[in-house]
Amino acid sequence: MPHALLLKYPGTNCDVETERALCAAGFSTQVQPIATATPAHVKKAQLVVFSGGFSYGDYVMSGRLAQLETERFLGDALQKHHADGGFLFGICNGFQILTKLGILPHASLIWNKSERFECMWDRLVKVSSTCPFTQYLPQEFELPSAHAEGRLVCEPGDAQKYLDNGCVALQYADNHNGSELRIAGLQDPSGRAMGLMPHPERFLRPRHHYDPDWSDDPDWGWGYYFFKGAFDALK
Amino acid sequence: MMSATYRTIPVRELSEEALTQLSHDMKLSLSTEDMLVVQQIFREMDREPTDVELEVIAQTWSEHCKHRIFAATVQHSSNGVTEEIHSMYKTYIQRPSKEIMARKPGFVLSCFVDNAGFIRLDDKYSVCLKAETHNHPSAIEPYAGANTGLGGVIRDILGAGKGAKPIANLDVFCFGAPDTPPELVEGHNIIHPLGIMRGVVHGVRDYGNRMGIPTTSGAIQFDPAYIYNPLVFCGTAGVIPQSDIAKEMKPGLSVVVIGGRTGKDGLHGATFSSAAMGEASAEEDQQAVQIGNPIEEKKTLDVILEARERGLIEFVTDCGAGGFSSAAGEMLSETGGNLYLERAPLKEEGLQSWQIFLSESQERMVMAVKPENVPELQRLADTFQTEMTVLGESNDSGVLRVWHSGELVCELDNSKLHDAPTKHLTSTFTSSPARTGLELDDSHLTDDLKDIFADFAVVSREPIIREYDHEVQGNTVLKPLAGASADAPQDASVIDIDGSEKLMSLALAILPEWGKTDPYAMGTGTVDETVRQLVISGTNPDKIALLDNFCMGNPESPVELGRLVECAKGIRAAALAYGAPYVSGKDSFYNYFETEHGPVNIPVTFLCSGFGVVDDAEHVCGSSLRRSNSVLFLVGHTEDELGGSVYARRHGITDAKVPQTDCSANFATYKQYYERALTKGLVLAAHDLSEGGLAVAAAEMAFSGKGGVAIDLDALPTQHGWKNNVTPCFVESTGRFLVEVDEDMAQEFAAAMEGCPCARVGHATTDGQLTLTAGGKTVLQASIADLKHIWKHGLTPYY
Repeated sequence: MPHALLLKYPGTNCDVETERALCAAGFSTQVQPIATATPAHVKKAQLVVFSGGFSYGDYVMSGRLAQLETERFLGDALQKHHADGGFLFGICNGFQILTKLGILPHASLIWNKSERFECMWDRLVKVSSTCPFTQYLPQEFELPSAHAEGRLVCEPGDAQKYLDNGCVALQYADNHNGSELRIAGLQDPSGRAMGLMPHPERFLRPRHHYDPDWSDDPDWGWGYYFFKGAFDALK
Repeated sequence: MMSATYRTIPVRELSEEALTQLSHDMKLSLSTEDMLVVQQIFREMDREPTDVELEVIAQTWSEHCKHRIFAATVQHSSNGVTEEIHSMYKTYIQRPSKEIMARKPGFVLSCFVDNAGFIRLDDKYSVCLKAETHNHPSAIEPYAGANTGLGGVIRDILGAGKGAKPIANLDVFCFGAPDTPPELVEGHNIIHPLGIMRGVVHGVRDYGNRMGIPTTSGAIQFDPAYIYNPLVFCGTAGVIPQSDIAKEMKPGLSVVVIGGRTGKDGLHGATFSSAAMGEASAEEDQQAVQIGNPIEEKKTLDVILEARERGLIEFVTDCGAGGFSSAAGEMLSETGGNLYLERAPLKEEGLQSWQIFLSESQERMVMAVKPENVPELQRLADTFQTEMTVLGESNDSGVLRVWHSGELVCELDNSKLHDAPTKHLTSTFTSSPARTGLELDDSHLTDDLKDIFADFAVVSREPIIREYDHEVQGNTVLKPLAGASADAPQDASVIDIDGSEKLMSLALAILPEWGKTDPYAMGTGTVDETVRQLVISGTNPDKIALLDNFCMGNPESPVELGRLVECAKGIRAAALAYGAPYVSGKDSFYNYFETEHGPVNIPVTFLCSGFGVVDDAEHVCGSSLRRSNSVLFLVGHTEDELGGSVYARRHGITDAKVPQTDCSANFATYKQYYERALTKGLVLAAHDLSEGGLAVAAAEMAFSGKGGVAIDLDALPTQHGWKNNVTPCFVESTGRFLVEVDEDMAQEFAAAMEGCPCARVGHATTDGQLTLTAGGKTVLQASIADLKHIWKHGLTPYY
């Protein structure tokens, strides 16, 4: 059975529902606080997950302190895991952390263009066709979002490059946070590492949709299929 | 040599005047009468007190901690008839609640003893709810005040039982209107309502979001009387296995503090909040407002929940008002024990003994654990990167002794302290005129509706709701904004509970406008609205518990206190009728402000928060229209009682009759609706009628964007009728809700509601209009899109 390791930082707060989603897809899952995490934990896992929250409060640039602490406790274990064919998945604050760790293409997530925290559902468009996480998702679907720092910005020209070389996994249909080229999720060229701002773990079941008449899928919400896609690619 | 960290303060030989002066100089907020009792205590002990001991007594006897007004003996005169009330709390809250609990054995699992009241969710789990106010700090420093208000109530839940898991937050605010002309704000150092609103919302946002607790419920009221005394209510719901509710102190346990450090912030918070605001408050009492650090609290939460699951916790409580003194007092007053203040981790050096013992620094929890479990708890604290210290231990001496660097600084017999002198108050109430049959112009109802939709009482709270993460934890099934367009208002929120087939619901109501003329009706109406919202959202009507939160101005004003007494009578009657006990509550007094033109008291304000059990996810029912070919029923009587309504306020009507609530009849209807219609799958959606009345509720249902609504006002159930069409459109009679039913189910629904005030009043349409007709003529018609635009953007210019 594929094993997932979820790294938890002070301020990480979506670990319970992310673990719930991982288990629903079939993963055995371990939530590991970073202070006691070791390279051995990483070695045991096929998928390393960074869930949403406010690691260290996000008082300096979001994800930055988590990156430094990860490097302190794990050294280059995550990079090795990735190079050896392992999967990595970052959601919201986890996306910010993965971006800072340099595993995803170089980018930053800064304050939304509204300059406020926004909790709302986003319509998303699938861009990459090589991403195992999104393999079961339809061309267009919805997920809930909740973030203040979700506006993706890149070095000049990079965003277009990511779009051209298949590193853009998802785009927003509406782009409320003002991301460059409407980018909602990035992947590495292999597709084994992916990060996105919206929260798939919050749309596990149809009843988690805001509209009681939502019936696009009888058993699962769209969020489930991210975890299922990774599971099937790893099993 | 170290300088002394405490002083001995002679009181035994002081005169009355000198005692009063001492209370004033030390900011103890104790009356002369209280100080005389203090003097007596130490004469009996045959020694002088330390400053630590005086501070502990002041804190223990403060209004904030002791609720001495709710426990006072009140000479109440109601329309000339006098009575003596021995403790409003016991008479109107505790006694009826105990009666209800006796009627429903096994429902309330714990209340009146812990941080929050627990009700049974299923065979394994229990849920709880607690709401607090943080008014005075929020007036002085809105961001930090609201921030720590929420942080504090979350700790209440973490300290409930052996540590409940917080699963939802609620917040309710009462402000001056954000468009208040600045020149109307009198006095120096008064923050404009707009600044208060933004600061408070950001404070709640930054704490709740960082804690990872969804903020799912809330309300905002606007009234000029709240300019000087804004109200900030914060609430948190929790879940815990039933086996972890009971906790007991025993001798031989280690007393441990975990989380933040202790500093000079938050001194005198409890006594500070028990006094009136004056112009000097801002400067003098800045140190009473604390600074919040949600990540510190999140780490503490992680440790407590893990420690509870591992069975390491014997007892846990929060460091709230009074800091260590109240936490340790709660834990060690029965068994006795020793605390060593020099062990407490400090934010800065040089604190006096009383400062360490009384500091209300945030993010601290106190636990009692078996000494052999201390190392494992220490490992957990290290794992989650938070600080933990063994402060002392319990023993079987029956006396709490507090030491500081080898010196005994406090040794009080707690049993004596809990008998604060009973206060004696007088109150008076005279009924106001309650007019019906008003001559009102009903020739421009459409404009009236647009006017109401622009009122701050009605406009969408969306800009604020979206700043709160209401979906974290992934369990928010009925969200604050939902319907097909994800932005329509809902009546209650419903939360999935991990490990249970059942769900928890939350709803609240607050109607301060009604209490200005008829506080009794405010009491019954507020409870009715709370229960109604819970039931129509899917809650089992027999599984509802309530919280009472009162705020008022000066309780020494008989007229002000008279309103509170009448309101309390109303909530007693309502609780008994709905079978919904008060399992927790809180009150806040002295919310008044002295201006050049006399005191400004807030209206007597009663927040009713309710929570209950939704037996099956299939029962969850939203408030938004789902079809364009469905039928609409109205449940409940519509009567001529425009008092307190948004319409009345906008038209300057102050003497109209306020809606009267027949609680027993309403509850029979709700039960029948729940048993025969809702749980039988006959209902598509249901929305309660509250602020703005029928016209607003019907339009709000249609804000889902699924269709229009047409309603025939002649079909509304009524007992006494009305004089003109203003009433059926805008009156806020209680007990009412609109129900959307599939055309094929309409007959079955009507049969299910047989015997109740219920009528088919209209239907959904495809024309996108709200159309109200009477006598065969259209009396109100507006495009749903236009109304929604007004409603949706009412707050956006200000927020």
